[in-house]
Amino acid sequence: MRRRNRRGYRQFIESDLEIMPLMNLFVALIPMLLISAVFVNVTVIDMKLPTDTSDAQAVSNTQKALNLAVTIRDDHFVVEGRKLRKQVVARKAENADSQLSEILVGIKQQYPDNEEIMIISQSRTLYEDIILVMDVSRESGMGSVSLLGEPGEQKGQE
Amino acid sequence: MRRRGRRRSHIRDRHTPLRMTSMMDILTVLLLFLLKSFVVEGEVITPVPGVQLPESSSETTPQSAVVIAIFDDNIMIDSELIASISNENAEADLLIAALADRLDEALEKSLLIAERRGEDPDAFEGQIAIQGDRQIEFEILQRVMYTCNASGYENISLAVVGTS
Repeated sequence: MRRRNRRGYRQFIESDLEIMPLMNLFVALIPMLLISAVFVNVTVIDMKLPTDTSDAQAVSNTQKALNLAVTIRDDHFVVEGRKLRKQVVARKAENADSQLSEILVGIKQQYPDNEEIMIISQSRTLYEDIILVMDVSRESGMGSVSLLGEPGEQKGQE
Repeated sequence: MRRRGRRRSHIRDRHTPLRMTSMMDILTVLLLFLLKSFVVEGEVITPVPGVQLPESSSETTPQSAVVIAIFDDNIMIDSELIASISNENAEADLLIAALADRLDEALEKSLLIAERRGEDPDAFEGQIAIQGDRQIEFEILQRVMYTCNASGYENISLAVVGTS
């Protein structure tokens, strides 16, 4: 009786799962995925620079437009535009970007047709600050961003 | 005493299969992680070493383009250093001469390829991807964009690191 039990136990040990085909699959799949893996998710913000013809259109449109502009100064953002009250957000505040976002969303609700926004930077303004303001304005529904230098020279248009 | 020794040797002789369970666990987790980071759509931009891209919520996937990397005051095209802003005359003009030369060359090459393929050269859209370090100043960006526009590249993509 005791012997029989022992044999049954041994039979149980010897019946193993056959996982070698699965291992083979993994060994092939993992190097392939490792090669094509993207660990840093790089995306882009598309911009279109003004050509001569679009420049002319831009000039003709300025008469009617809202001319909404965000100026990035060293310590504050200034939001201004035609028919709009000038608003200032201190950049030192922790929620400066959400405050700016609130202002822009408010303007968007007031003027739903307005897609354009100008971002006026000083020559020493950091790239990451410009990207931050571009993000805020895109999320507020104003997707057509123009980059300008402080003296008033237009460079880029999305 | 004798019996115990014999028994131990018997165990040692017995064929024991490799224990694969823990290894299978690791491989399964690794496989799932890699599948998650697998990207099929769009062109993959490899960040140039030394350039810390700014973060953004943009989700647009990059297209193939001429890559210009800017960090500190150096400008690189396709991983080759071509200009240093401090050496250029900043006051005279916004144009960066060395960059303009390289862009003109690249444009000529692209137009020639388009012509050989039988495509319409007017349909050519100059595409540039700018990889700017987060600490660069607007002045440099402005000059690079001005130079791109002057050389006929009108579509500019600013490379950023997606936060989502």
